[in-house]
Amino acid sequence: MRAHGVSRAWEKAAPYILLAPFIFHITAFFGYAFVRTFYFSFTEYNLFASPRWVGLTNYVDLFRNVQFGRALKNSLQFAIIVTLAQTFLALILAVVMNSKVRGIRFFRAAYYMPSVTSSVVITLIFMWLFQRGGVINYLTTKFMEYRAPIGVFFLCLAAIQVLLVWRDRAGGWPASWFEPAFLLISSVFSFVLVLALQAARIIGPNPNVEVVRTVWLNTRQTVPAWAGALAVPRPLAAIMILNTWTTAPTMMLLFLAGLQDIPRELYEAAAVDGAAPAAAFRHITLPGLRNATFLVLSMGLISTLQMFDQVAIVGEQAPRESVITLAYFIYSNAFPGSAVPRIGAASAAAIVLAVFTMVLVS
Amino acid sequence: MACTPSVLGFGRPVHGDTTNISQAGLLLIDSGQPDLFYVDIFWSRGLFSSGAVEPLDSYIAKSKVLKTTDITPSLLSAFTYNGKIYGIPKDFNTLALFYNRDMFDVAKAPYPDEKDDWNSLTDKFRKVQAGLPGVYGIALAPEYARMGAFAYAAGFSVFDARGKSSVTGSQFREGFEFYTGLAKKGVGIMPADIGQGWGGGAFAAEKVAACLEGAWVIGFLRDQAPNLNYGATLLPKNPRTGQRGNLIFTVSWSMNAQSKHKQEAFQVLELLTSPEAQQWVLERGLALPSRQALIDNPYFKRADKEAAANYIVFRGASDGNVFPFEFAAYGDDWMTPINQVLSAVMSGEQTVDVALKEAQKRLDELMK
Amino acid sequence: MTEQDRRAGAENRKKLAARRRWAKAAAVYVLLLGFSLLFVGPMAFAMLSSLKDNPVEWPPGLGSPQLSLANWVAAARLGLAGGGTAFFGQFAPGAIVPFSITYEVDEGSEPETPIVRVPRRVPGAGPAAIIAEPFAADDAVVSEVREARRTTTDGVVRVTYEFDITHMGSDMVYGKLPLDIEVPMYQRFVRATLEPNRIERLGRVQSWNNVTSGVIPYVFYNYHRVFRENYSRATGKNLFLAWIRNSFMLAGIKVVTTLVVASMAGYALARLKFAGRKALFNLVLLSMMIPGQVTFVSNYLVLRDGIFGLTKLLGGGSLINTWTGYVVSTMVGGSAVFIMKQFFEGLPTELEESARIDGASVLATYSRIMLPLAGPALGALAILTFQGTWNEFFWPLVILTSPPDKYTLTLGLLSFRTTYAVAFDWGPMLAGTVMSALPIVVMFVVFQRYFVEGISFSGIKG
Repeated sequence: MRAHGVSRAWEKAAPYILLAPFIFHITAFFGYAFVRTFYFSFTEYNLFASPRWVGLTNYVDLFRNVQFGRALKNSLQFAIIVTLAQTFLALILAVVMNSKVRGIRFFRAAYYMPSVTSSVVITLIFMWLFQRGGVINYLTTKFMEYRAPIGVFFLCLAAIQVLLVWRDRAGGWPASWFEPAFLLISSVFSFVLVLALQAARIIGPNPNVEVVRTVWLNTRQTVPAWAGALAVPRPLAAIMILNTWTTAPTMMLLFLAGLQDIPRELYEAAAVDGAAPAAAFRHITLPGLRNATFLVLSMGLISTLQMFDQVAIVGEQAPRESVITLAYFIYSNAFPGSAVPRIGAASAAAIVLAVFTMVLVS
Repeated sequence: MACTPSVLGFGRPVHGDTTNISQAGLLLIDSGQPDLFYVDIFWSRGLFSSGAVEPLDSYIAKSKVLKTTDITPSLLSAFTYNGKIYGIPKDFNTLALFYNRDMFDVAKAPYPDEKDDWNSLTDKFRKVQAGLPGVYGIALAPEYARMGAFAYAAGFSVFDARGKSSVTGSQFREGFEFYTGLAKKGVGIMPADIGQGWGGGAFAAEKVAACLEGAWVIGFLRDQAPNLNYGATLLPKNPRTGQRGNLIFTVSWSMNAQSKHKQEAFQVLELLTSPEAQQWVLERGLALPSRQALIDNPYFKRADKEAAANYIVFRGASDGNVFPFEFAAYGDDWMTPINQVLSAVMSGEQTVDVALKEAQKRLDELMK
Repeated sequence: MTEQDRRAGAENRKKLAARRRWAKAAAVYVLLLGFSLLFVGPMAFAMLSSLKDNPVEWPPGLGSPQLSLANWVAAARLGLAGGGTAFFGQFAPGAIVPFSITYEVDEGSEPETPIVRVPRRVPGAGPAAIIAEPFAADDAVVSEVREARRTTTDGVVRVTYEFDITHMGSDMVYGKLPLDIEVPMYQRFVRATLEPNRIERLGRVQSWNNVTSGVIPYVFYNYHRVFRENYSRATGKNLFLAWIRNSFMLAGIKVVTTLVVASMAGYALARLKFAGRKALFNLVLLSMMIPGQVTFVSNYLVLRDGIFGLTKLLGGGSLINTWTGYVVSTMVGGSAVFIMKQFFEGLPTELEESARIDGASVLATYSRIMLPLAGPALGALAILTFQGTWNEFFWPLVILTSPPDKYTLTLGLLSFRTTYAVAFDWGPMLAGTVMSALPIVVMFVVFQRYFVEGISFSGIKG
């Protein structure tokens, strides 16, 4: 046996030995980098000549820069809208996914598919879907064409559903407005009815509908029209749809984990007490998901605030100013197309982004 | 093989992927990797002013093979910056009017030709449309890279003596009005409106009788519409000035200022721009070489449609008011306001007056 | 209410409850299916469309000639006739390829015998244009075009023509046999042995890329183009294959470095006491929050200067555009350490304590006791890291700029924008996206459990 002192020293050093590679990495590529960015933001620097101290000039210039203003607005809009939308969608998905039915694994895999593929793949596919002669516009056209039958279908469905529920309630059964059994019956009946009406040529697709040719990407229009200064540039809206679609499944898994942590007994107790499912959702599910919701919201904000890939991949197919985000602004100032790098401006914007992230998340 | 200069290529005219260009520029300085690389005219000013590119004058002075007089002068001047030559033009492109012979035949309309001015060409398109319902006369991309040719024809120049741009002046307006007017009259159509990404696509899909493109469309048509029976002619003249306008899209071979093998690199550059190399490029129909002696090349006299179209594109560089496709240090930013109002006017969202005022305002902001 | 009524009522209620359970399950399935369509639909449709000659056709349809059984059979027959196999065709000496084509004209006008040509078609797109390839036209001879059948119905005359294309040469085997058939404009195309890839000149010309392709190249034409047209002009190497290899290699290396470094660091953070532990953990959290765009300039410079000059000492230079640089700068992420820390904290302490009592050192406890228990976490981390690296875009974009054979798959796909998006050539673009998504999708299907566990472990994506 070796001397006790030596092995003691080893034991003391052990944590640092285990941590050494990580500490090197996080210090060199994060800590040092962060500090350096902070320093660069007060300098004028082009990557070649040595940095020159300019004080707060970069920050002052930044807030005079039109493009930075756009980037800031786009980033904030994007972060808030997408985070809310994907949280909402993820919650619905998770609740549906939490039902105990066969084959749930298959569905979980299917939903998660968009999240495993790369942003480049997904964005290219979306650019294709959002072409002017693309699938999105085609489906919209079809929808406009079949507006009347679809409307009739839903009217019928609502009418039959109301009738059935009334009948039940009159008979003393507690039937909810969205009673699934009745929904199935109503939709089958409505569908048959619509088919019959179509066959009788009373309603049918409108042949005079104009083909929808919405330009999704190469446009400077904003949507919705009534929102004024708060409206979102349409290409950015398309990216929002894309991002909600790809991230919601990831968030769904977090909610799902949260849901499965809620004890089943709580629901059973509520059912015994005669609580409606809606009430159970409000009083049991939502409070039980508080932690998961917090996680989903903060992760959503972090990832949406740094949105870069989609802007870079869409490239010239959308006007730069309609889609530029803070992250892209930083990159494009650090490596501008036709000029020397403006590291000062890029770093100042980077610090703004970092501060925004920290403020919004905490 | 330490002495073999490495060659890096980046950038392509008009549509190029711009994200990596300045990085490539940085790379030259960072690692001294490539000794030769090519520079797109559009990005050239920023790169030349950065000091990353070696001036070539002293090498050319000593060269036995490469003389400045060999190269088409308008191309060479495009790569001259502060009086020094920073690149030898590798190849170039201009705009030509490509038209679908079948459509003109079926509609019994005369082909567009070099004598056409703006008005007579419009009439020919109208005849095609009368004979072939559902077809548009010409694809009009809402881009300065096409419309600019018409402004130049009317006498517009990008920068005036004080280095400012005026798009509200009568010359720019004339070209702008004609170009957008074609769309408003229904003679022309934006490619996106017929589900196409660009003019060449609309042309290949036989939805338009003509398009304004450079020689790049030839390779595309070879793949997508190998049998399309097309012809090409010079852009129409402005009826008032009697001049055509055109844009030159070009790429140069330039040398890395940090190169460790400059002499060898220059020898490779000589080879790359040699008559033999350029003849090969020409014969394969890849691009139009920059040597002016090639105008008498037998290739251009061939009977096939590609050679004829290439010849028109070649001649486009020296007929009328021709300017390289670059906007000093402003780059993309200069075109953005114009492209923006182009599509707004062509889709009927803005009037010409409002549009040009708005563009001018943004240009003034840019250039203050 | 009598006892009987009450019993009947209870019976009814039970039936009702059973009925509602069924209905509820059905409703859930309808919802689940609807959402699956939403999430998988776009990708599945992109996959189907990647086979089409024109993926931006209007109206966009699910089917395409490439998906019709009749065309597969035709392609297989023609592939065999050309001297190849049914799956991979060719045009070999002695081959006689029979072909037929049907047109119709209005009664009163006389159909004309079509002009059949085997064209010398040169590819025009990008680097493919400089591949020198022999032309099948040099050896292909088209027989006389015979009128085989003629029927008249309702004032429309239908005529079928037949001809053979024969390989008259002695030794050349061609990969492709392109074909053009031309008729006057009033003569309308009805059908042919194989559906044409395009109809040109206002309906006058039916044109095929390769009639003796066999099934696979016929169906996967766009895929074939992706491989063929993306090669390095400097070295001649196939770029698409290189990108796939690079992505696999880098992802593999990063999985190893991440597992090693993150499990060590995670263990130390979770179980060991040392000065600065709290500060380090806060730094980890901060690094997970701060976007890469904040730190990339400095990291770029660090690599450019060879990690504070270290590489210069070892005789290297700049690490920009090197895989070493990429791996060193991304060998571990804060979130990986976080996952491992969370995991180790969740393990019971008893085993560890008994090991310590037995006198095992910290390092031994870590490597012999704890690490073997960390299987599930390591699996999840491996998968997430692999996926993250495979899909990573920003950092490779910054440091891997040239030459193109250094790219990862995501960057390569981005370069498709200049190769194909200029011409809006969506066929190869979609084919490329499908191929680059495939490995990760397969991996996901196989290791689904780890993916899901990884996400719910920590709530942090790759």
